[in-house]
Amino acid sequence: MLVDFELIRRAQKSDAAAFNEIVLAYRKRILGTIARLIARPEDVEDVAQEVFLRLYFSLDQLRTAEVFEPWLYRLTVNAAYDYLRKQRRRQEFRMSDLSEQQVMLADATAGGKAEKEDIHRKKVRESVDSLLGAVSEADRVLLLLKEVEGLSLKELEKVYKVNENALKVRLFRARQRVLKAFGSAKKGAAG
Amino acid sequence: MNSMHGSDDQELDALFRAYHDACPVPEAGANFMPNLWARIESRQRSTFSFRHMANALTTAAVAASLALGIYMSIPRSSAFDNNQTYVEELAAANTPDTMDLVNPATLDLPADRPSR
Repeated sequence: MLVDFELIRRAQKSDAAAFNEIVLAYRKRILGTIARLIARPEDVEDVAQEVFLRLYFSLDQLRTAEVFEPWLYRLTVNAAYDYLRKQRRRQEFRMSDLSEQQVMLADATAGGKAEKEDIHRKKVRESVDSLLGAVSEADRVLLLLKEVEGLSLKELEKVYKVNENALKVRLFRARQRVLKAFGSAKKGAAG
Repeated sequence: MNSMHGSDDQELDALFRAYHDACPVPEAGANFMPNLWARIESRQRSTFSFRHMANALTTAAVAASLALGIYMSIPRSSAFDNNQTYVEELAAANTPDTMDLVNPATLDLPADRPSR
């Protein structure tokens, strides 16, 4: 926990200063999670504000301060999911949006190590983004929370309020679809 | 086949790990908190006005119901009472000086007259 329970209880009683402190404590973590869930840096701040807005108006529904973090994660997941649903960005399964020509051109003009790393990072982001096009927005978020954010099944159980076995089945199916897309993309790149 | 699938699994795990590091975490802008509070206040205002409107509509609906109830409970001064049948209505309309066309004709005999 990044904040103590007392601070959460104060925020629940409409203490604006306490709410400010909570936002400042969790802002960086939430921005990071959203950045990885939606993969659109320009919209990360907007979605994060939506998360804290929802937090402000739902704090009174929080039964105990002990479950604050899963609660905040749940709000984050829902806001990211709503954003993705609005975007309805469904990409084709391909390893990268950058053509070889673009990469070579960028390499030639950039030359430096930092720029090459930037290009590599961009390719990784686009690859994962494309692969996740094989699953629904809801499964994309679930898979990223497990595989990228590193949440355990127990933590996911608290976030989703679903039993562990149902989550395991859903995760397995989603991962199988992504694996299939990964195999196809590899074959496509080799052939 | 299985080993190929296994290697795909490992490569996918590695790709997910690389993705974690490849996603830049944007720093919150200087206006993050002011914008957040502006959004909160805007939502509060719209919620307040919605509640205000909902309360006004509820009050109006209650007032209309009461008015209708009072209107319905007032006895009507109608010339024709719906609870009576046509015949009853006709009988009621008959005054003593009009000929009784509804009831059977009776002959009033003096009670003390000895019968034969």
